[in-house]
Amino acid sequence: MSATLLASALVLIIAVALFAIAVSTLYLNTYAWWDPKTQVRTSYSGLQAREGQSFSLIMPCRNEREEVMRATLAALLAQTHSRKEIIISVGHDDTATVEIAHRLAREFPEFVRVSVDVSERKNKPRQLNKALSLCRNSVVGVFDAESIAAEELLAHIDSVFATKNADVVQGAVQLINYKDTWYSLRNCLEYFTWFRSRLHAHSRQGFIPLGGNTVFIKRELLTAVGGWDGACLAEDCDLGVRLSTLRRKIVVAYSPQLVTREETPDSLSGLIRQRTRWSLGFMQVFAKGDWKALPTRRMRTIAWWTLMQQHFMALAGVCIPIAIAAAIWGNFPLVVTLVTFLPLIPTLVTVAFDVCMLHEFGRDHKFAISWYDYFRLVAGTPLYQMVLAFAALRALFKFVRRDFAWEKTDHSGSHLAYLLPGAAEPARH
Amino acid sequence: MATTELKPDQPAAAAGERSARAESAPKHRGTAHGAPFNLRYLQLGDRAAIAALTVTAAVLSLWNLDGAPSYQDDEGTYTSQAFAVHSGTLAPYTYWYDHPPLGWIQIAALNWLPHLLGLGDGTTIGATRYVISVYFVASALLLYMVARRLTMRIPFAALTTVLFILSPLSLVLGRQIYLDNIGVPWLLLAFYLALSSRNALWHHVGAGICFAIAVLSKETLSIFGPALLLALMYRPKWSNRSFSVVGFLTAGGLLLAFYPLSALLRNELLSGPDHVSLQDALAYQLLNRSGSGTIFDAGSSRAELLSGWLYFDKYLIAAGLVAAVVCLLRRQSRILSIAIASFATPVVLGQGYLPAMYIIGVIPFLALACGSAVDITWSGVERLARRTPVLTRPLRTAFVAVLAASLLLMSVPQWFEQDRTLLTAQTNSNWRSAMTWVQDNVSRSEVVLAPYSMWHDLNSSGWNNSWTMIATEKPDLDKQFDIERPGGWREIRWIIVGPSVTANIDSLGLSRVKTALQNSEEVQRFGEWSVHRVINPPST
Repeated sequence: MSATLLASALVLIIAVALFAIAVSTLYLNTYAWWDPKTQVRTSYSGLQAREGQSFSLIMPCRNEREEVMRATLAALLAQTHSRKEIIISVGHDDTATVEIAHRLAREFPEFVRVSVDVSERKNKPRQLNKALSLCRNSVVGVFDAESIAAEELLAHIDSVFATKNADVVQGAVQLINYKDTWYSLRNCLEYFTWFRSRLHAHSRQGFIPLGGNTVFIKRELLTAVGGWDGACLAEDCDLGVRLSTLRRKIVVAYSPQLVTREETPDSLSGLIRQRTRWSLGFMQVFAKGDWKALPTRRMRTIAWWTLMQQHFMALAGVCIPIAIAAAIWGNFPLVVTLVTFLPLIPTLVTVAFDVCMLHEFGRDHKFAISWYDYFRLVAGTPLYQMVLAFAALRALFKFVRRDFAWEKTDHSGSHLAYLLPGAAEPARH
Repeated sequence: MATTELKPDQPAAAAGERSARAESAPKHRGTAHGAPFNLRYLQLGDRAAIAALTVTAAVLSLWNLDGAPSYQDDEGTYTSQAFAVHSGTLAPYTYWYDHPPLGWIQIAALNWLPHLLGLGDGTTIGATRYVISVYFVASALLLYMVARRLTMRIPFAALTTVLFILSPLSLVLGRQIYLDNIGVPWLLLAFYLALSSRNALWHHVGAGICFAIAVLSKETLSIFGPALLLALMYRPKWSNRSFSVVGFLTAGGLLLAFYPLSALLRNELLSGPDHVSLQDALAYQLLNRSGSGTIFDAGSSRAELLSGWLYFDKYLIAAGLVAAVVCLLRRQSRILSIAIASFATPVVLGQGYLPAMYIIGVIPFLALACGSAVDITWSGVERLARRTPVLTRPLRTAFVAVLAASLLLMSVPQWFEQDRTLLTAQTNSNWRSAMTWVQDNVSRSEVVLAPYSMWHDLNSSGWNNSWTMIATEKPDLDKQFDIERPGGWREIRWIIVGPSVTANIDSLGLSRVKTALQNSEEVQRFGEWSVHRVINPPST
C-alpha cells in the first residue's frame, strides 16, 4: 500500500514537473504572438539619419572552405554602414584557413585584417579574445564563418544603439535550408521561434543568454569584463549572464529582412555533437554560478530556470518513456494516470502553434511552404525531441565526467567538435 | 461591416483607418462608448453597478434557499456524486457516463465548506445548494462583464443582469443543484475572454479552456460553441488571428479529450458485454432514450416542457426571442442571435430527448439580447435626437417611459408573485418529515428504496451502504443490484414514495420497484410523500 502510494506520489511529481516545463516552453515560444503590441515592440526602430557607432566585425574561422569565407566576407563588405573593419580570426595550427584569410586580407587591405590565435588549446572564445585585442572601433560584432548578413544590418544595429541607449544588441539568425533533411525543417523553425519570440521573452525578464552570431557589444564594455571566457563552451551565453548581472542594457531586435542567414548542420551526428556542446556549455555556465549575482530573486529564478533547461531536457528524455509505461501498465489510480497525461496538453498546443509559425516563417522569407512540409514538421517533432533529449543526456554524462569537448578534440585530432562549417549553435546564435 | 449599425458614435471601422489607428489606440476594437471594458480600470459607474448587482444576486439567491423550490432527484444525484468524489469515486453507484464528471467534481471541491458550517438546515442537499448560489452570483457578475464587453452602456448592462437575477425562471433553476448552473459561469467567462478587446493570444487560449470546462461540466452547453467561435473571429482581421483560432481550438479540444481518455483508461470507451461505456451512454442519450416528441404536438413532453418554461417566465423568453432579431442590427451583438438560434434549433426541430434544465444555458443570452436590443434602440433614439435637437427631451422621456412600463408589466403581475413565493414558501417540510420518520423508525439493517433527493442524507445517517439504502432507480438500472441483492425485489423492506417516483417507474421502466410497490402498504404519509412497507408474499 505505502509502496503504491509512494510510486503514485513520484509519478505525480514527475508529471507536474513535466507540465511546468511544457508550459514554460509554450509561454516562451509564443511570447511574441501573445499580443499584437509585442510584435511592434520587438522590431527594429527606424533608421537614424547619422551614423553613431563604428564597427569591428570578428569572423571566427576554422577549417573553412574558401568560397564559404568569401561569401560571408562579401556580405560584410557590402554593408551600407560606412565605418566598419573586419577581422578574420584563425588558429595558427589551421594553416589552410590561415592562408585563405591572408589572401582575403590582401584583396581588401582597407577593411580586412587577420588575427592568428597561437594558444595551445584551440576554441572559439580564445580566438575571439585574440581578435578583440586587434579591434579599433567602438562596437565589436561577431559573425560566424558561414553566415550571410543582410546589407542594411549594421545601419539598423547602429540606430538601435542610438535610440535604445543599448550596451549590447542581439540581432537575429535564421537557418534557411528547411528542405534539406528531416531535421533541418525543425531546426529552422527552432531558430525562428528563438529569435522571433523566446529571446524577447528573456529580454523582458531581464536575463538573456546571448547568442554567438550577429551579436554586437560596445568594445569598452567587452574589454572591461575581460572579453569572453576562454574556458567556457558556451562563451556567448556566459557573456550574456555576466552582462545581465552588471545590469547592462541588452536589446534584442528582430525583423525578417535583417536576419543573418545560416545553414543547419549537414548530418544528424553533426547536429547531435552541436547540441551536446551547447547543452554542456549551458551546464558549465550554470555550474560557474555567475548568475547567482543577479540583483533580484526573480531574475535569479528565471536564470536558474533558463540555464537548467538542458538538465530538464535530459530529465524529460528519461521521464517521458517511463511516464508512458507507468501510465499504461502501472495500474495507478485513474486520477494519477490522468495527471500523467496533462503535460501532453501544452506540448500539443505548442506543436499546433509551430504549424502557425511555419506559415509565418514561409511568409517572412518568401518560401512556399507545402502541405508536405507541415506534415513533416508535425511528424518530425517526436523524433527531433528525442534527438535533443539524447544530446542533453550525452552532455550530462560528459558533464559528470568533466569531459569537455575541446580537450577530447585536441587529443583525438577530430576537427568536428568545434567550429564546424555552418555548425551554428541553435538558440545561442 | 456594420452597415446597418444604428450607433452614431461608432468609430469608423474601415480596415485602413483601423491599421492607421493601431498605434495610437491599439486597445480599442470598435467600442461604442469610450474605452473598452477592463477590470483593471473600472469606471465609477461600473464599480457601483458591480457592487449593487453582487449584493442583490447574493441576497436573492441565498434567501430561503432551502425553503423553495422543492428538492429534486437530480439535485440529490449530484449531491451524492459530489460526496462520492470526497471518498475517491465518481458516483455511489456504477458511474455510467451519464454526464462528464467535472460538474460535481467542482461541487465536491466546495461543498465541504457549507457542510462544515452546518448550513442547509443540517441536510447535505441543502448545504450543497449554497455552492450553487456561489455559481449563480458568479454568473450574474460575468453576465455584466460580458454585457459591457459587448459595448452596452452601463445602465443597460446593469438592466441585463437585473433581468437575469429577477427572472423567476433563472431564480428558480439557479438555486437548484444542476450541472448547467456549474457550467454557465465558465461559458460566460469563455465569452468574456473571447470578446477581449486586446486581441491577446492568451485570452483566446483561455476562452478555449473555459469553454472546455463548461462542456465537461454539462455537455449540452456545447451548443454554444459556434457562437463562441464567432465571438472570437467576427471582427476586423488582426495579425495573430490564426494563432488565436488554433490556440482556442487545440487548448479546448485537448482538454475535452480528457473525457474520452479517462473512459479509455478505464477500458470503458467502447461498448462491451459486461461493462458500462461512453459509447453506450452516448447512444442512449442521443439515440435510444425515449424522445420528447415534436414541439408542434400539443401533448408531447417537448411541448409540455416548453409550456413549463413559459409558465416560469414567458416574458423573458418572448422578449429575448424578439430581441435576438434586433441584435442582428449591431455587429457585436450578432453573436447573441447566433447563440439563441443554435439553442433553439434542437428545441424547435428536434424530436430527441430534451432535458428540463436545458433552458438554463440560454437564460443569460436571452437577458443579454434584451439588454443589447434596448441599447441598440437607445442609440437609434439618440441619433434621431441629434438630427432634430428639439425632440431630444421628448424622445428620451418616451424611451424611458416605454422601457419602464414594459418592465413593470413584466415584473408586477408575474415576477413579483413568483419571486415572493420563492423567497417565502416552505416547500420541503413534507420531504423533511418523511426523511425524519424513516431515520427514526427504520432499522439500519433493512433495505430501503429512497428517491435520490433524500438518498444521501438518509444513507449517511447510519446505513452507509448504497445497497441497503438504495436509490429508487438502481434495482432496475444498475447491474450490480443482482450481485448485491440476489433475492431481487423481495429483499426490499421499505419504499419511500415522493412526487417523482410513480412517474419515474413509468418513464424509466422500473419493473422491480413497481412489483415491490404493488406488494406494499402505506404506513405513513406526509402530504405528497409517503412511506411504504413491503409485504413479503409467499415465495412461488
